[in-house]
Order: sequence, then C-alpha cells, then structure tokens
Amino acid sequence: MKDTGTIAEHGLVKRATGIHDLDTVTHGGLPAGGATLVIGEPGCGKTIIGLQILASALARGEGGVFMSFEESRDQILRNADAFRWGPRLRESSRCEIIDGQSMRRAEFSGAFDIDGLLAVLDLCARRVEGTWIVLDGIDQLLRRQLDSQTAIDQIAQLNDWCIEHEYSLLLTGKHISSDRTQPDYLNGIEFMLSTILVLSSTLVDKRLNRRFRIAKYRGTRHNPDELAMLIDDGGIHLPYADPFIPETIPAAGERLGTGIERLDKILDGGVYRGSITLISGQPGTSKTTLGAAFVAAAAGRGERALLISFDEFARQIVRNVATLGIDLQTPIDSGHLRVVARASWDALVEEHYMALLALIDEFQPDCLVIDPASALLKSSGADSAFLALERLLAVTRTRGITLMLTSLSEADDPFGESTLSHASTLADTWIVLRYQVKGGERNRSLSVVKSRGTAHSNQVREMTLSPQGIELADVYPYGSEVLMGTARIQKESEEFALRQRQLKERLRQQQRLEREIDKTRALVQQGQEELERLQEELIAESHDQKEVDRGVDQHQDSVIQRRNPGQGGLAQ
Amino acid sequence: MNLTPADDAHPKRTSLILFVTGEAPRSRRAHHSLSAALDDSSLDIAPAREIDLLREPQQAIRFGIFATPALLRIDASGNRRVLYGDLSDERRLKDFLAAL
Repeated sequence: MKDTGTIAEHGLVKRATGIHDLDTVTHGGLPAGGATLVIGEPGCGKTIIGLQILASALARGEGGVFMSFEESRDQILRNADAFRWGPRLRESSRCEIIDGQSMRRAEFSGAFDIDGLLAVLDLCARRVEGTWIVLDGIDQLLRRQLDSQTAIDQIAQLNDWCIEHEYSLLLTGKHISSDRTQPDYLNGIEFMLSTILVLSSTLVDKRLNRRFRIAKYRGTRHNPDELAMLIDDGGIHLPYADPFIPETIPAAGERLGTGIERLDKILDGGVYRGSITLISGQPGTSKTTLGAAFVAAAAGRGERALLISFDEFARQIVRNVATLGIDLQTPIDSGHLRVVARASWDALVEEHYMALLALIDEFQPDCLVIDPASALLKSSGADSAFLALERLLAVTRTRGITLMLTSLSEADDPFGESTLSHASTLADTWIVLRYQVKGGERNRSLSVVKSRGTAHSNQVREMTLSPQGIELADVYPYGSEVLMGTARIQKESEEFALRQRQLKERLRQQQRLEREIDKTRALVQQGQEELERLQEELIAESHDQKEVDRGVDQHQDSVIQRRNPGQGGLAQ
Repeated sequence: MNLTPADDAHPKRTSLILFVTGEAPRSRRAHHSLSAALDDSSLDIAPAREIDLLREPQQAIRFGIFATPALLRIDASGNRRVLYGDLSDERRLKDFLAAL
C-alpha cells in the first residue's frame, strides 16, 4: 500500500497529497517517509489541510490516522462535515481518528517520552494500512516539556520513526511569533525538519486574506512564493499554483469580427483569435455595448461566448443592449452565450479568479468578455488584482480564448484613458472610448490606441448608437480636429448641399450639351438636304448641257449639209 | 471517558495506574519516585498497577494517555487526574496523590 502515489526525485520520495494545488507547488507531494511541519496562527487552515490530505488518501484507497491534541473526535468530524469530502472521514473504515486532547487537562512533573505515542500510532496505522499520519496541534503536547531541547529531540524521534516506517507525517502547530514572552516550542523544530509549510492570514479591508508558503522543502524543487490561499467547501485552494507555460500559446492568425462592421474595417478585419482587447472609457461610453456586440457576433458565428459582468445583472444587460439592436436572448436560449453577473465587493480577488476559472473550465468559451475588469480593483485584496488579471490573461491566451476586457477610467484621471494601464500593455488591441465635449455637445468617440499586427487607422471616430446598432461615423478632419455630432452633421449637410449643387450643375451642363447636339444635328440635317438639292441641281444642270450640246451638233450638221449638198452625204 | 462502571479502572477506592514504556529511563525513574512516595505516605491507596504501552498500545487509546510516564489517579467516585512526567518533583507528586 505504501507505494501508492509516490514519486522519487533525487532520492527524495514524495507522496501525492491528492490536493491538486498543493501537489503542484510541491512538485509532486510531501515526503513519503518523514515529517512535514505546518505552522501558522490559529484559524488559518492547518487542521483543514490535514483533514483534506486524509480524505484524499481515503478516496485513493489508502488509509490514514488523524490525531488531535486540541479537539475531540466529534469536533473534528463536525469540522470536516463543512467540506464535500468530510463525510468520507466519518464513513471510512480506513480512517482512524484519535482523541489526544486529554493531554490538555493533565498536570506535569518532569520530562516525558513519546514512545507510547509512537506505539499507538503504529498500532492504528497498521490497523487501517495507513500511509498518512496527521498530528494536529502538536504544540499542545510539546509545550508541556520542561525544556525545548527535549521537544526538539522528540520531533526528531517522530521524524526518524516515520522515515523508517515510510509514513508521511503531517505535524501542525501554532506559531506564536508576535508574543515573545511565551517560548516558541516550534523554533528548533523549524531547523530540524526538512519540510515546512507556513500558513498565515491578514485582514485586508476587513476581509480575511489567507496566504500559503513553502518555507522549506529540502532536496527538491518547489514554489517558494507566498501564494494566496482560499478555503471553500472543496477544501484549500492555491489559485496561483499552476505555472504559466508560454510555449503552449497557440499562434493566432484568424481574424474575428467584433460585431461592429466599421470597427472590423478599422482593425483590418477584426481582432485576432486568442488575442486580448482592452476597451477603456469613462462611465457611459458604451463599453458594455461593445462587449455585448462582441459576444453576440461570436454566438452568431456558432461559437461559445461568455460575458461576465461586475456592473449589471444579466437580465438588465440583455434588455439594455436589445434597444440597440443587439440580440443576446436568442444565443442565451440556444446555449451559445452565457451572461454571468458577479459583485466585485462580494469576494476576494482570488475568489473571483477561482470562480472565473471554474466558469471557463465549465463553459469552455471561445470568446470571453469581462465587464469591467477594473471592478476587480474594487474587490478586497485588490493589491493582488493585477496578479489575478495577469494570470487570467495567461489562461485565456494559452487556451486560445479571445478575450475582451473593459476598464472604467476615472473622469479626473489625468491620462483619462485607463486605470488598467498595466493591463493595456498586455492587451493586443486597446480601444479607447471617450466623450468629446464641443459646442455644447457630448459625443462618443472611439479610437484604436494600439493593435498589434494590424495596420489600423489612428483616427478618432464618432460612435453613434441607434436601434440599428453601433455605427462609427465617417471622420471629418477639420484643420487639426475631427468633427463630431452636430458639427459633423452640419459638415455632412454642407457637403451634401455642395454635392447637390455640383450634381445640378452637371445636369445643366448635360442638358446644354444635349441641346447643342440637337441643334447641330438639325443643322447637319439641313446641310444634308441642301447638299442633296445642290447635287440634284448639278445633275439637272449637266443634263441640260447635253441637250444643248446635242442641239449645237445638229445645227452644225445641218449647216454643213446646207453648204455642200452633194457632199453632205459623205459626212454621214 | 471510554469506561463502563464495571471497568477495572473504576474501583471502590482510589486507585493508581502508572503508564510506562518498556525500560525507558524516565519510566524507571517514575516507577521509583512513585514507590518511594507511596512508602512515605500515610494515604490509603492501593499499590499502582503498571501498564506498558509498548506491549499494550490499545490501552493508550482506552485511557487517552499518549505520553509516558504518566500516573493516572482514579478516586472512588470515578474522577480522574493525570500527572505526566518522571515524577521527579516530590512535592508535586505528594500533592497529586493527596488530591490537593
């Protein structure tokens, strides 16, 4: 049984704890033979780690022993019942829970040995064919020793015993670092044991932020960072446990429509699949509408789209964008689109991160919109919001999910364009929505600040919303400005009038020419007739001539005949 | 705790059980300290029964005693007190035996 779930690394044999995140940061688990110390202040999850490891072992068909020096068997099982895997501890015949709290009420006179404890643990572990032994609240036992050196020696004894019998031992104990008047019974132990996990918790904005750190794991690679830790009904989670592997990012070549035809044109056909688009703007600049148009377009292509809103309820969004000709209800009904509303203040950043990951895992979207991503900055523990966001971007990138983030920028922000400026460096496309206030009007404008791998227009365009959808109006450069709103319409009508005038003028010109042609044609006709008449005249004339000539000949003949009557016949 | 009234751990008068682990020095010291204290005392206490947890580890769970040496005192009404350690503090041991 003891070989199950163990891996060897440079001679150190590890045993998987069955807690995915913990096995990830420890690169395979905790020592298969020997003790791991879990220290932390009260209430930071030490006992839960022990219980969860045990429950995971039971699920894999291994056995385990849990001994508490602080709580009764019933208390422990009650605590465990708060978790999905809790009942397993109660029901399994391979789980031994020993009540060791009687030590607390005892009196002490001189030093004591723990050989009896080892004998009991061995008895129980053999009975359940156990691989894991958890001693919860070992400090309760050790602080009874007269001197801390005895306590340290006994931990060494426990550790050696576990190595010899190939048990994985988890020792949990309170770490009282702030209180110097009380001797810290775990101090020397920290130097002695090769594996130490430190749990801590701090209050940020009146919310508990849990932290996890591998303070020491001798002889093996591990993640040494202090990581955020969450506890939910699944037990402990380390949301940032999984390493980021950049090699797995799929290369993007395909363009995806944004749902706004003119925007696609500006972006050279749309955004790249798997890319990140940031849309930043002040309140009311239609960030949500752009996001809705994007998911509607994705669903329209038959893809799966997920819209996560931190601002509005799903039904509100569907109703609001419907007035702009964007239909979200149909793709929701067909299962292509899911709209999920979350409240930023409701959870820690890490909890949001975990929830978003769970949603992505479950729904497997092709396109994802987080509206607004800047809301994460409002949630508790916001100092790690950028970390959460970056990790989220890494997840969407590696999975080829096309992501659109919106970001609310403050009205008095001197740069005016993004509070998520950090994220804007990560984004492939950055679209800024603004109000242009001019001539007593407030007009929405859209400009593409950057778009990697795209020859995009640098011009600011006016964005108009109507029941027909979102339109980007033509750009009217006027000097150094771009005209919008009434100014644009005025300019547009001026241009229209000019065009009308030009059209009329041309029409007139055409008519004039046509008239000329008709006139000329008439002249040509007239000339033709004249020509024919002259020709006929000419013919008639030449005919007359012949008649005359013949008359003249006859006259000469008759004259000759008269002159020579005898010879007249000769001539004929 | 896990005891029934018929149990041998629930006698008519005060009884003592000394938990030891084999021939461990502290266990032996406790044994001697206890014997000496009982010889000196005028208390009406039966000689201590000894349980070796290395031989009978299940007794540790039964009595809830995991460190040795440990002296368990059960009085006539079933109240239990435990004194851990090698019983080297004579005064402490006498107070414990006298239930002070």
